[in-house]
Amino acid sequence: MDKISLTIDGQEIIANNGTTILETALENGIYIPHLCHHPDLEPVGVCRLCMVEIKGRGLTISCKAPVEEGMVARTESNEINKARRMAVELLIVNHHADCLSCAKNTQCKLQEVANYIGIEEKRLQRLRKPTGQFAIDTSNPFFDRDPNRCVLCGICVRTCEEIQGVSAIDFAFRGYGTTVSTFGNKPLLESRCESCGECVVRCPVGALIPKNVQQPSREVKSICPYCGCGCGIYLGVRGSTIVNLRGDPDNPVNRGSLCVKGRFGYEFINHPERLTRPLIKRNGKFVEVAWDEALNFVAKRLADYKGGHFAFIASAKCTNEENYLFQKFTRTVMGTNNIDHCARL
Amino acid sequence: MMNFEEMRRRAKKEWEALMQMEKPLILVGTATCGRSAGALKVWETLQKELENCGVECNIIEVGCIGLCYLEPLITIIKPSRPGICYGEVNPEKIVELVKGYLINDNPLPHYALGTIGDERIDGIPKLFDIPVFKPQVRRVLANCGFIDPTNINHYLANDGYNGFMKTIKMTPEEIIEEIKRSGLRGRGGAGFPTWRKWQFCLEAKGVGKYLICNADEGDPGAFMNRSLLEGDPHSVLEGMLIAAYAIGAREGYIYCRAEYPLALERLRQAIRQMEECSLLGNNIFGSNFSFHIKIKEGAGAFVCGEETALIASIEGKRGMPRPRPPFPAISGLWGKPTVINNVETLASIALILQKGSDWYAQYGTEQSKGTKTFALAGKVKHTGLIEVPLGISLGQIIYDIGGGVLNDKKFKAVQTGGPSGGCIPSSLSGVPVDYESLKATGSIMGSGGIVVMDEDICMVDFARFFLDFVQKESCGECVPCRLGTKQMLDILEDITKGKGRSGDIDLLTELAEGVKTGSLCGLGQTVPNPVLTTIRYFRDEYEAHIKYKRCPAAACKEIISSPCQHTCPIGTEANTYISLIAEKRFKEAWDIIKKDNPLPSVCARVCHHPCESKCEAGKWADPIAIRTLKRFITDYALEAGIYNSTKKPKIDKEKVAIVGSGPAGLTAGHYLAEKGYDVTIFEALDVPGGAPAVYIPEYRLPKDILNIDIANIKKAGVKIKTNTKIGEDIPFSDLLKNYRAVFIATGTHKSKMLRIPNEDADGVSDALEFLEDVNLKKKVKIGKKVGIIGGGNAAVDAARVAGRIKGCEKVTIIYRRTRVEMPAFKEEIEAAIEEGIEMQFLSAPSGIMTKNGKVTGIKCIKMELGATDNSGRKRPIPIESSEFVIDLDTLIVAIGEEPDLSFLDTGHSLEISRGNTIVVNPETFATNIDGIFAGGDVVTGPNTVVEAMSSGKIVAEMIDKYIRGESLGREYKLTRPSMYVPPVELTEKEMEEARRVEIPHLSMEKKTNNFNEVDLTITEAMAIKEAKRCLRCDLNTEDGKRWLQQKQQAAQGGG
Repeated sequence: MDKISLTIDGQEIIANNGTTILETALENGIYIPHLCHHPDLEPVGVCRLCMVEIKGRGLTISCKAPVEEGMVARTESNEINKARRMAVELLIVNHHADCLSCAKNTQCKLQEVANYIGIEEKRLQRLRKPTGQFAIDTSNPFFDRDPNRCVLCGICVRTCEEIQGVSAIDFAFRGYGTTVSTFGNKPLLESRCESCGECVVRCPVGALIPKNVQQPSREVKSICPYCGCGCGIYLGVRGSTIVNLRGDPDNPVNRGSLCVKGRFGYEFINHPERLTRPLIKRNGKFVEVAWDEALNFVAKRLADYKGGHFAFIASAKCTNEENYLFQKFTRTVMGTNNIDHCARL
Repeated sequence: MMNFEEMRRRAKKEWEALMQMEKPLILVGTATCGRSAGALKVWETLQKELENCGVECNIIEVGCIGLCYLEPLITIIKPSRPGICYGEVNPEKIVELVKGYLINDNPLPHYALGTIGDERIDGIPKLFDIPVFKPQVRRVLANCGFIDPTNINHYLANDGYNGFMKTIKMTPEEIIEEIKRSGLRGRGGAGFPTWRKWQFCLEAKGVGKYLICNADEGDPGAFMNRSLLEGDPHSVLEGMLIAAYAIGAREGYIYCRAEYPLALERLRQAIRQMEECSLLGNNIFGSNFSFHIKIKEGAGAFVCGEETALIASIEGKRGMPRPRPPFPAISGLWGKPTVINNVETLASIALILQKGSDWYAQYGTEQSKGTKTFALAGKVKHTGLIEVPLGISLGQIIYDIGGGVLNDKKFKAVQTGGPSGGCIPSSLSGVPVDYESLKATGSIMGSGGIVVMDEDICMVDFARFFLDFVQKESCGECVPCRLGTKQMLDILEDITKGKGRSGDIDLLTELAEGVKTGSLCGLGQTVPNPVLTTIRYFRDEYEAHIKYKRCPAAACKEIISSPCQHTCPIGTEANTYISLIAEKRFKEAWDIIKKDNPLPSVCARVCHHPCESKCEAGKWADPIAIRTLKRFITDYALEAGIYNSTKKPKIDKEKVAIVGSGPAGLTAGHYLAEKGYDVTIFEALDVPGGAPAVYIPEYRLPKDILNIDIANIKKAGVKIKTNTKIGEDIPFSDLLKNYRAVFIATGTHKSKMLRIPNEDADGVSDALEFLEDVNLKKKVKIGKKVGIIGGGNAAVDAARVAGRIKGCEKVTIIYRRTRVEMPAFKEEIEAAIEEGIEMQFLSAPSGIMTKNGKVTGIKCIKMELGATDNSGRKRPIPIESSEFVIDLDTLIVAIGEEPDLSFLDTGHSLEISRGNTIVVNPETFATNIDGIFAGGDVVTGPNTVVEAMSSGKIVAEMIDKYIRGESLGREYKLTRPSMYVPPVELTEKEMEEARRVEIPHLSMEKKTNNFNEVDLTITEAMAIKEAKRCLRCDLNTEDGKRWLQQKQQAAQGGG
């Protein structure tokens, strides 16, 4: 890739041609406040916070401005501050800023931006507070949508369109009444939303929040148990309970993405009816037994069905290696080719 | 396939046959404006009537010639006669015209607006010579109203598509060069050079370029594009062909609002005809050029006029703009290089190619070439569509073309460029209309909406209205526009409700600047303009709302409650006493009047009733006759014996001196005495009352009436010392030694001089001297021919008084402007004319003719009205060598008055203005000397009775605070009535008969040669009927509505 050199805040930077000022700055450890930018998505330039001043051109938003050879940009000036301060003040006045009870507290991008730019209570008090309130959409079983906390950055809309290709949500209505909405403004559950949660993980504020959120005390790297894809995941653990789950962004299989089952379907792990020990039915009742006993029992019974009496159905939940072993066992030990896979059925 | 020449020949033949037929030709304007005024009904009647009368005619439908205020319009062209255009045609007129002109050859000149072409018809002006057309240059609109827009042959016969035929023999570069030479800039509003946009697109890499015609006209009050599309669609389509050829586009879109059904119909029809004539399609006329046009109907989102949002909309997405660059010329529709031009730009292009760039650039300024169409709307007499050369002044558009402001109200401001435009005050009406000059005022050219505003428009409310519009029309995408406009709207709503906070103006400015710099698209970057410009030019109105809880235009209902109460300088609750009269509760009505006014009978006769000027009823019909109703109640109170105060005064406080016993002094005295102060009023003359006693003629205010009010004030404990001249009998400096506070209310008693030769001649006097002599029954000598110079109230009073004096035969008022500009009260001017006073307008005196030291006449010079000055009036300019003489034997000069401050001690330290008035704190009326207050005309210059009373009322409050050692300052509250009165129900008959009461006057005979009061009182029935007309604005506020609701609930609960 071509390299070009430019100056940001007096710092000489070698950047990849074709990248934007914002991307280059962030890569080089120069923070520029932003809300609607997301590295996975096309930039749209709607939050108007990432203003920079380019020598000879004046104020411009950095997320849409490509770097150019010899360009000199500043990220701080009175003009810049004036423009973005107003934007962030307006956002905060129109935001349900009950931060302490918000699940996004400390991870909120609006907080980050506000902290960086600096907010004065006195200035906020001059502004008029909104009188109305939007209803919270709790229809989805996995996450809630609270438009009162939404900053309309559009990241969810673009995620749904650009990453998932579903377009279950888009902007609706105009002006101050603009919201992110499903088709016909129906509850999420009645829309074509697949509940993949990709928008939820990208939401910079507390507008899209998983239900029953609990902060984990540590994370455990793992692989999703659902299908053979082998998506990398991090299990958020609190004590001995899994309280959340996220995609592993470094995993080459899923690069952080997950489907609804992988992301939200982990509750079975803690389910009281989940089988954790082998059971054998005796006198019409299941009785807990040791693993050796159970395996011996299975081996003894299988021996009675070798050949055409036996068929094997493999599971998508198993890895390729496990499935390979099973089919080998079926052919060589059980002596039959009656093999099938649930994904084919 | 026919070739183009053949096609044009046929078209010309058809057109000539139509024009030179033996049958008359009738053009009926059936554009949307005509239709809404009833053109289709006219059309129907015309056909029926022609059939009935057996007259054979050709009738064609045409577009609009722009005279919207005169729709429906028709033009009749009889063989070998010039066409005659008729306006405000209705079915009845049609019947007359068919009989009169078509059958009997009488062109009925009284209905005609003008003739078309060079020939003339007696008694009818040329259409393009009438004032509304004279300054116009019709180029883009040349065909509108004269050709049938549904017939391509009409366009072809009038040089149509010639421009395109030239184009296909040129290279794109040559075309762009031609457009560059013409100086054409985008007519959509931003004024970007059209050629440059094309150049970018031409040079842009990529195949499958697009051309888009932006017909998404959405500014409130703008209809230029609609009219053009309805009246001459082919001119726009020809422009599209040329543009497409120049930039290399094969496909074009017209993005037109679905709310323009007729324009869409005309376009579809025109495109079909083009296809039939091979003007659209593949390899047009055998060339390599292929072009197709699609129409995309817009759903009416304002933001879709913005080019990137428009592109998104065509692509089937939500109409939201995207940041530029890349500009559409590089990456536009479906990511392809795209040019978007406005309707008018495209029509201009067709003309430039037809007639050449030099021809086009004949008009305009250095930077802004050519002509521009505007939709003239708002409070202007001639609303409609106009086309003017760029560089014309706003004043010319509003006064010459627009005919001035409706109902001769004051011109306040004009908005150009729609909601993204700004508001230009009347003081800048000399500004030339071009891109740069308008931008310098803080407004923009925009696509061509011009909305004229009069004195009744509140500029804060105006800003609120547009903010409300743009806030709803913002796409909601970017933060500054979505939230910033809402915040601004909330603040403006607060201000218009009287809930504004100090600091709000600065906050609004900050937000507006922030939205301007921070927003993503042209909408957000311009919508704060109405707010910024109103703050820039009308900051005092914002401050009045926020600080003083006043709306100077009396428009913001939550502040003013009732305009009559709000505009009354002394806060009289006209609304309350009117509603009490409607309920026949006269005694209570009297109490309401008395509460705020110590000179009720005086005011009932001579008040200039600002209350009536803003009356809501006056906006739909005539204002309530408020002063007449007050007169009825004061007369009732006198008759009922409840007029005179019976309260015993209780004077137990400090002494206060008042200099002057006019309305200001009397009012202050009254309220101070009510508070217990020991008040002495010093009056130089031997009668108390000031101007009402000595200048206001008896036929307007009988002396015994004035004395009743003065007697009541004396009864309240006020002492009046007449024949006591401060400065002569008592030195002014002694007053403060003996009194705790002094109020100077000496009025204006010195007439201004003409400063022309022979002003000292015998027979020349000033109006004040003359009126005083008559009022004080001194001997007055005037001749037979009296001339009065001036146009104010003193001039009109002097004229009417002179006319009453025996022996006087002729009275002439000489005024340098016209009747419209006369500052005297309208009803006084009307009465003067009725009494036979002559008016010599547009004449300025230049010398006094004398013989033996006696005046014999006055030499005047004729004036003409020039450009509008800062007061919104046209400045009179002398016409060279136009002097003439009016024979006179008496000359009364009434050109203004100023205070006489000779009573002050020499070496006094009172601050005096350059106009010789006393300088006071405008809120407290305190002078620079502790303990001395001043009010009335001595502070303001010549003013009205009630304004003087207002200062007296405030001074009484301030002196009370001063003596009690409190800090001087006033509390400002929202205007509200002291009580609510239930509304009356009108029967249907009463509603139909609701007309303003006619005030009975003395007959002409009874008022000749005497000073009997002219206005008479009305009867009880008349008063109640008039009072019932009141629209009860007081019940339309949140408070009023709440009261009404509670009352209804109580009635339901009780019943």
